Amino acid sequence: MREKLKFVIASALPLIILNIPTEFIPIQGLSIVEHRLIAIFVMALLFWVLEPVPVFATSVFVIFLELIMISDKSFVLFKEAAGTVNFGVVLSYKEIMATFASPIILLFLGGFFLAMAATKYQLDINLARVFLKPFGTKPAFVLLGLMIVTAVFSMFMSNTATTAMMLAIISPVLALFEKGDRGRVAFALGIPFAANIGGIGTPIGTPPNIIAMKYLTGESVISFGTWMCFSVPLVLILLTFAWLLLLVLHKPQTPSINVAIKGKFRKNWQSLIVYVTFTLTILLWLFDFLHGMNSYIVAMIPVTVFSMTKIITTQDLKRINWDVLWLVSGGIALGMGLEKSGLVGHLIESIPFASFHPLFILFLATIITIIMATFMSNTATANLLIPIMAVLATSLPGMAQYGGTRLVVLAVGFACSLAMALPVSTPPNAMAHASGYIETSEMMKAGTIISGVGILGVYTMLFVLKQVGFF
Amino acid sequence: MEKLTILCIDDQRDVLAALRKDLESLNEFCRFEFCESADEAEEVLDELDAEVIPLAVIVCDHIMPGKNGVEFLIEFNGDARFEHTRKFLLTGMATHDDTITAINQAQINHYIEKPWEKEQILEVVKILITEFVMSVGMEYQSYLSILHQQTLYKYLRT
Repeated sequence: MREKLKFVIASALPLIILNIPTEFIPIQGLSIVEHRLIAIFVMALLFWVLEPVPVFATSVFVIFLELIMISDKSFVLFKEAAGTVNFGVVLSYKEIMATFASPIILLFLGGFFLAMAATKYQLDINLARVFLKPFGTKPAFVLLGLMIVTAVFSMFMSNTATTAMMLAIISPVLALFEKGDRGRVAFALGIPFAANIGGIGTPIGTPPNIIAMKYLTGESVISFGTWMCFSVPLVLILLTFAWLLLLVLHKPQTPSINVAIKGKFRKNWQSLIVYVTFTLTILLWLFDFLHGMNSYIVAMIPVTVFSMTKIITTQDLKRINWDVLWLVSGGIALGMGLEKSGLVGHLIESIPFASFHPLFILFLATIITIIMATFMSNTATANLLIPIMAVLATSLPGMAQYGGTRLVVLAVGFACSLAMALPVSTPPNAMAHASGYIETSEMMKAGTIISGVGILGVYTMLFVLKQVGFF
Repeated sequence: MEKLTILCIDDQRDVLAALRKDLESLNEFCRFEFCESADEAEEVLDELDAEVIPLAVIVCDHIMPGKNGVEFLIEFNGDARFEHTRKFLLTGMATHDDTITAINQAQINHYIEKPWEKEQILEVVKILITEFVMSVGMEYQSYLSILHQQTLYKYLRT
């Protein structure tokens, strides 16, 4: 019932917007195409916030509506006004459909192949065992070890899969804690927080990063290696902070912890191919300036190698997270519409952004991002905000001297991953909360502090990047 | 969110009443059907299928008048309409042979002897619900609070 109500609300408002006369909308020079796009944008916003349907379905709906309403092959009724002065610029249907296979999507697909192969051949769990060993058995250091491993893995695997793996490792240990030992909370929170933070570390770490990469083109382009140069230090700093915070808030009482992970590195030829391809792909991503292939092309290496060697089989292929890829595609299509139709330009002209200080606008953008991402999907937040902010960055006269597109897109992209105050904020948070070891209030307290410090960390990182002449 | 159905079959009403009580913490996410014989259960199965209601778990007794539990479960195991439904045999009087037949031919997912412990049966049902939700491919997020976490991690890892 509640879902139906949400559906009705989320559909009604866009329909009303679609049906009011274009002149009623207080934006100068608004074309009919742009008017329709506003309705699509509001639809996407409401559907992604209220989630009456899965988030990927909203993306598909965005693409469908763009095709039938504002493409060059749209439905006949939507073409009646074509040719009139204020009809506006239609989009190419080929370009809209091509978002399903844009280079960004294939870069992410490459990441999926790496992660799937690593999981299938137990590389992830074996690495976890080796990495955790040096951290000994003292609870504080075991927690640090778990958080570092989680963060590093979530740079290449999905944050959800990483959290599932790490919670599976730690749950039997937590069950042995004495009742009333607050340390349990530290462990149950440390893993999802580390997964959220670690996602920032590479362009393929989490979907908002990929969306940010989409808008870092031309002069603002950033390579895989460059991204890691500044985001990995940020991840390490935030991780250390989160670790100390959890130790202060929920100090473990138990004298020692023994995390036992069974297994040995596999030695058949397929496993060796997985190890070599994994290492090689990451190296090629990092050193693209040496070999000339960009990160999108490098991403095809794991896809090709694992398909050719039957490491990823026909059945495995069916288990790829197509929903995540489609969610991003819809975002790209929405962004393309906003940009190509000229809607964002018109929108920005009619709001007196220029009278605000550029840094105030940046501050406001990151705060809006983090609030939205706390309550809704991080990827959907990125889908809605990054395209607008990218255009805003280029059109504001004062923004260029602070770093322009790069500054704004990175700030908003990172802010998407830093929302972790509630169970609904991210899938890792929801999983940890469902484990039963933590209260919502405990997650809120630690999560809000880390979000706040995380944002300050992002500002600091951007400031340092400005000082070293990156912008 | 669609409620998951749990079908309990036992000829003794007090057993059904005890099951209802022990599983009541699942009420928010599950609806229960209680049957006193295999024949009655088959009618319920037809209704569930016609109305496309997801049947997550069958909890079945063995010794009953008419068709016994293991016979019923063997037939059920071959029923393509409910290929993902988890089967759970709950009995006090199954012989060694009955049990072997139940495992090999009905491919039951779990076996518990009466009398049972509340915590034990609740955990088993949660595990079976989790396996059902994940193997059917339902949106697991809506059921998160009743899913068995360790089982869920296995599915989410890949």
